[in-house]
Amino acid sequence: MFSIETFFDSFGPLFWAARYTLLVSGLGIALGLVIGALICAAGLSRWTAAQRFAAIWVSFLRGVPLLVQLLLMYYLLPVIGINVPAIAAAVITVGICASAYISEIWRGAIGALPKGQSEAAIAIGMDPRNVWTRIILPQAVVLSLPALVNELILLVKASSLVSVVGILEVTRASQAHAATTFRPLEVYLAAACIYLLINLCLAGLGRYLEHRTAV
Amino acid sequence: MVQASSVEIRKVNKFYGPFQALKDIDLSVPPGKVTCLIGPSGSGKSTLLRCINFLEEYDSGEVRIDDQLIGYEVPGGRKMPARKLREMRRSIGMVFQQFNLWPHMTAQENVAEGLIRVRGLPRAEAADRAVEALRKVGLGDKMANHPARLSGGQQQRVAIARAIAMEPQLMLFDEPTSALDPELVGEVLNVMKTLAGEGMTMVVVTHEMGFAAHVADQVAFMEAGELVAVDAPARILHQPEDPRIQGFLRTYHERNAF
Ligand SMILES: Nc1ncnc2c1ncn2[C@@H]1O[C@H](COP(=O)(O)OP(=O)(O)OP(=O)(O)O)[C@@H](O)[C@H]1O
Ligand SMILES: [Mg+2]
Repeated sequence: MFSIETFFDSFGPLFWAARYTLLVSGLGIALGLVIGALICAAGLSRWTAAQRFAAIWVSFLRGVPLLVQLLLMYYLLPVIGINVPAIAAAVITVGICASAYISEIWRGAIGALPKGQSEAAIAIGMDPRNVWTRIILPQAVVLSLPALVNELILLVKASSLVSVVGILEVTRASQAHAATTFRPLEVYLAAACIYLLINLCLAGLGRYLEHRTAV
Repeated sequence: MVQASSVEIRKVNKFYGPFQALKDIDLSVPPGKVTCLIGPSGSGKSTLLRCINFLEEYDSGEVRIDDQLIGYEVPGGRKMPARKLREMRRSIGMVFQQFNLWPHMTAQENVAEGLIRVRGLPRAEAADRAVEALRKVGLGDKMANHPARLSGGQQQRVAIARAIAMEPQLMLFDEPTSALDPELVGEVLNVMKTLAGEGMTMVVVTHEMGFAAHVADQVAFMEAGELVAVDAPARILHQPEDPRIQGFLRTYHERNAF
């Protein structure tokens, strides 16, 4: 029999665990935006070494599963003498992984702008810094918003993987809760509802941003 | 009356890989005059026009604006410093076929942007001058509109306002009316006529033979990267001697007859 009671009772501990889910995906996307911007800039720069570095960065991080990246980072950091809490290692790994996708999102958005946009600015004698900050980036950022929100949704789901390094986020917490209640179905259903709730909110945010920035 | 520049083009060549887009082009554009560039598609009109403000880099020859070589330090020499090139571009306005307005800015912001970022004017003064330029093209009431809320003809007029607000001494137009619905062509051509009347030096790539016939001081005909002839409009458009021009005009008239 499905126990409605256990289902509802699960929400308490799972909501509490959701703070880690939000922390890992929230800080992860923030870090990913910063590193992604740098990688994107490296890829678009005229230095071949920087271009190559960006290309390797992106293909490595997109080619290796996040789960493996997490385990690698978790065991690698102590070896090179860095002792950070598991949560920090998780955030860094998720951020680095996200940076690869985010730099590609931005590269795509910048590439999607018609060449005439910057030409019109260059033709009146605008310098490259202003061409980027006034003409290209404001448009590229707006163009990239839907894809960035989508990336954040993917991160919320991918954050379940950080349970492998011992972080008690929603998925890990539901495993523990299922084991103590012997009610896996109810508990996992509650976990599903929490993920869904978070991501529906994010999707709503995405639509709002898209609507607000549409010109 | 505006301070108007002259343009001297001497033996200009331009290659795209093995393909030669411009072949030994010679053309003089006198100050305060209107020069129309006509010719079939792919003949090199845009390429030549874009060499004048060095948006396209010519490979050899000279392009001089008021005797000042653009793009290179000396003919066949090193590229000129970017700062110097930007300085020269400030006084050369350009209007594109696709308008190229910045969609994230209002009409007024589009016009004021260059005044603020390039000319270094204070915001308030730039805003005032933007209003003035927009009034001049008949868009005093559309200042707060984003480009998406303007018709094609209005967008192109904003683009012209954006260029003239910089107080250029030379204006380049690359098929400014080709992307417009026929009923919107006139409003843009009228603004251009006014500009010509004020003594602006203008180089206009166009398929509007009426404009070339009535407004241009000289018409240059290009084909396959060559400048075939430069002459008074009537002599090119009404009694062309060159069979290539005759052929082009025949096609043009056939297409426009119904
Ligand atoms: N970036 C480029 N790379 C290679 N070839 C080019 C490039 N730009 C132009 N060309 C070629 O150079 C020639 C001249 O092009 P251009 O755009 O100047 O022609 P046009 O006279 O302006 O034609 P249209 O009336 O269609 O605008 C064409 O054959 C074109 O294919
Ligand atoms: Mg062209």
